[in-house]
Amino acid sequence: MNENLFASFAAPSMMGLPIVVLIVMFPSILFPTPSRLINNRLISIQQWLIQLTSKQMLAIHNQKGRTWALMLMSLILFIGSTNLLGLLPHSFTPTTQLSMNLGMAIPLWAGTVITGLRYKTKASLAHFLPQGTPLPLIPMLVVIETISLFIQPMALAVRLTANITAGHLLIHLIGGATLALINISATTAFITFIILILLTILEFAVALIQAYVFTLLVSLYLHDNT
Amino acid sequence: MAGPETDAQFHFTGIRKYFNSYTLTGRMNCVLATRGGIALLLYFKLGSKKTPAVKAT
Repeated sequence: MNENLFASFAAPSMMGLPIVVLIVMFPSILFPTPSRLINNRLISIQQWLIQLTSKQMLAIHNQKGRTWALMLMSLILFIGSTNLLGLLPHSFTPTTQLSMNLGMAIPLWAGTVITGLRYKTKASLAHFLPQGTPLPLIPMLVVIETISLFIQPMALAVRLTANITAGHLLIHLIGGATLALINISATTAFITFIILILLTILEFAVALIQAYVFTLLVSLYLHDNT
Repeated sequence: MAGPETDAQFHFTGIRKYFNSYTLTGRMNCVLATRGGIALLLYFKLGSKKTPAVKAT
């Protein structure tokens, strides 16, 4: 039971070869490229969803920020689809790996910071000191703001990893508990099963919400720097 | 949001013209001064740690 609990988080391999790259690339198959002016239902629904999301997410951005539209949309689609596919039984979820999430968070965050330093150097540096700070507090606040800047990518990655990993672990545990309770007490097993169903519904929501939160925060960091 | 258009309302003189927490330039200079001060502090602290033999004589 203990070994099985964490086995789903191990990097998968087939005949000794790592297949994690194939698993990471798999969600792209679910988003076919539109090839006609009027496409089939799947592509039309996907286009509608992407348009809805991009309109809402890019509303706050100026022209400079909107050059990141493709990046932000790809990010939310990738994380959302990967998280949802991870809810299938016996599947591997790449977003449970901290290495993967750091690999997404650090370059995106660094990109926003470098964009800000390059195009709006004064405003970008002045951002570390809130307007109207009393004189004695200035050095402390600058240090605190600098530390909070460097924590941003860590928080982005760890938030996604922890939420998805915790959800999957809970599903494993409660599913195991339901199976164990069937022979002991059918009523308790039934209640645990109801909890499992509710938890699964919650995990569907968490999968989409975490994708949205990750992308929204990257979008906000970009907005601060453009 | 602070910017050049809102900075015009503040009229500081002397050193406060360059180091204050209201104008964009003032805030930037405060940030750079704080970080520069910390960098200098660390440089001299680490520099003095590296030469204990010289200190003993």
